[in-house]
Amino acid sequence: MMADGYTGNILRVDLSEEKVSTEPINREWARQFIGGKGLGARYLFDELKPGTDPLSPDNVLSVWTGPLVGTMVPLTSRYVVITKSPLSGTFLDTYAGGYFGPELKYAGFDAVIVKGKAPKPSYLWVNDGKAEIRDAKGVWGKDMFRTEELLREEVGHSTARVAGIGQAGEKLSRIAGVTSDITRNAGRGGAGAVFGSKNLKAIVAKGSFGVEVPKIEEFVKMAKHMLKTDVVDNPEHAGLVTDGTPIIVDMSQDAAILPTNNWHSGQFDGYQGIDSDALKNRVFVRKKACFGCGIACGSWAKVKDGPFKGSSTEGPEYETLGLAGSNCGIMNIEAVVRFAEDCDRLGLDTISAGAAVGFAMDIYEKGVITKEDTGGLDLRFGNEEAYAKMPEMIAERSTRIGDLLAEGALRAAKAIGKDTEKLVIHSKGSEYPAYDPRGSIGMALAYATSDRGADHNRAWPVASDAYGDGDPWSTEGKAAICHEEQMMKSYKWSMIFCDFYGVSPENMAMYYTAVTGLPADADWLKAVGARVWNLVRAFNVREGFLRKDDSMPERMETEPLPSGKTEGKSVSRAAFDEMLSEYYKLWGWDDEGRPTKRTLEEAGLQEILGELDYLK
Amino acid sequence: MSKGLKADVEKCTGCQICAIVCSAHHTGKFNPSESRINVLDMFPEPGEVKLNYCIHCDEHPCVEACPAEAIKLNEELGVYYVDREECTGCGACVEVCPYDGCWMDPSESYAIKCDLCGGTPQCVEVCPKGVLKR
Ligand code: SF4
Ligand code: SF4
Repeated sequence: MMADGYTGNILRVDLSEEKVSTEPINREWARQFIGGKGLGARYLFDELKPGTDPLSPDNVLSVWTGPLVGTMVPLTSRYVVITKSPLSGTFLDTYAGGYFGPELKYAGFDAVIVKGKAPKPSYLWVNDGKAEIRDAKGVWGKDMFRTEELLREEVGHSTARVAGIGQAGEKLSRIAGVTSDITRNAGRGGAGAVFGSKNLKAIVAKGSFGVEVPKIEEFVKMAKHMLKTDVVDNPEHAGLVTDGTPIIVDMSQDAAILPTNNWHSGQFDGYQGIDSDALKNRVFVRKKACFGCGIACGSWAKVKDGPFKGSSTEGPEYETLGLAGSNCGIMNIEAVVRFAEDCDRLGLDTISAGAAVGFAMDIYEKGVITKEDTGGLDLRFGNEEAYAKMPEMIAERSTRIGDLLAEGALRAAKAIGKDTEKLVIHSKGSEYPAYDPRGSIGMALAYATSDRGADHNRAWPVASDAYGDGDPWSTEGKAAICHEEQMMKSYKWSMIFCDFYGVSPENMAMYYTAVTGLPADADWLKAVGARVWNLVRAFNVREGFLRKDDSMPERMETEPLPSGKTEGKSVSRAAFDEMLSEYYKLWGWDDEGRPTKRTLEEAGLQEILGELDYLK
Repeated sequence: MSKGLKADVEKCTGCQICAIVCSAHHTGKFNPSESRINVLDMFPEPGEVKLNYCIHCDEHPCVEACPAEAIKLNEELGVYYVDREECTGCGACVEVCPYDGCWMDPSESYAIKCDLCGGTPQCVEVCPKGVLKR
């Protein structure tokens, strides 16, 4: 092992042939793309045939860490699942914190790349440089709480870390995520269904190899200093330490961008039932952190009384409170805890599942579906009892509506017809997270241009336009924010830091050098970011995505919001198009949103030019 | 009174930073499996975190149990530590410790336990939530 943060090894798994092997990591690519998102994207671009059905054995499923993961650099405990999304059909990178990422490295691997399909349900056991494909019959059909427990017993390590799928992934739900450490989810984009399509229940890791860096004594001194000054005492982190993301519920209510009743309102009368105070006063048990994190944004929550007594989860996080709370008309934090626990257990993305249930409630109230479709449930907005049964119905595909929603809201609407498609709020089939663009116009652009379909973790203009002192309805500067942030997040996710670490580019470069021994500065990181974002864009273009797919749902234009600061507000198509054109120019893409030859060359992507038909 | 670390475990978030720095200090690598403090996150049930480490108890049955006399007194600090050179890896200390404070290195060839880092315990210094006290 070189003392440079990397283990130097990739674990290759061919499930069809039931073979595992180890190969050295491509060092040249590692220097160009670091790890995580970037390096994973480079391998996927190389190894996935364009047009592959995401749920076929030919899809490539990979799990990546990065050089910093497992060291003492704060807030770098993540891993990322990289594959082609069964929900959006785009490139997919979906992240989780917790402890699995570091454990995979301690077990000897920077990444696992899985191909083919196992002849029977299987899991992968990775331990100190070795790996084994094992029979999963003891856990197939079981939820992730139970699966973790049983697999730890089977491998004989009570502290082994498990990332895997619940019933939703097994049944190929396109909104199924990967659950690790029971409550940490690589949720978005349907990665869980890709596991399921390969008959892969879980990856179990335990390792004692450790991670090495060039100068450990200096490193520890630096890391101690940074932990104190840049993490614990950093004023940017204060709200996360005291509250975590639920603090955003009140902010969104005030800005009138809190998705409510399937996006028919930006304000929710019952918001105080699901906000941070409700969490703290009614269900909070203790603060919980991921590996190496001095913030501990997570809250372990447990319901003490009433119909949802005993339910527990880590969170719920803001997105869950928005999509699975207000957007379903649910004003009881205890019901949301139950919903979130079931999503963790069954392996469902709470954003997509919440959005799908909100959509179903909308069409139920409109009479498009009836009790015959819902298994007798009175699926009105705000009906906690019916709501709490939905995750299981979706994961098990029981009842007509459960089976349809398992495909994601957009596919469900297409199957139902009757003009219900316009009720689905999404881009590229990925349901919107919990910030309404009608009170934060920049978010319309952020969602439309997110590489994995609508998402909030690529650019977050809402911070300045709705929560800050910017103008939420002016298009000015919004393209620039998206461009800047997407570039920054591209290298931040390649390293791979937690979103919540307010770390400067200079400090990121400093960490990179301390871990790898290689030179870096903020400009170099920017170049990496541009390389990664352009590569991923090229991947999506190669899959057939064009300007028309960088879309905004019709209702954002035609249905003004009813109350508060956003009363009467909507997003005009012309304003949206103007932002999009400006955005393409900033990235050096043509009018169809395709990176030009020159842009790719400048980004150091000469290698891939031959792969792109539109350049021929 | 035992001379080991004190922990206000209710405040512990399970971040493992204590274990990360402990392993770096004792092994020159980031490797929590070789840490002398063990953080167990136990969720969903019982929904707690447990910290295992040698509390340097007054009775120190480990010292008496060791057939190789490998657990020696650091006279300055008044606590016992495992002399790795002399430890035969028999595991007798691990068995007798009533506090789960001592365990085998992952190589299974010697026992490891807290030695208070020669007087400035690294974990106490880094814990971001002030859980650990000397
Ligand atoms: S290892 Fe156990 S028995 Fe020995 S001194 Fe520490 S706490 Fe006491
Ligand atoms: S560093 Fe502190 S908060 Fe983190 S696991 Fe150790 S004792 Fe708990």
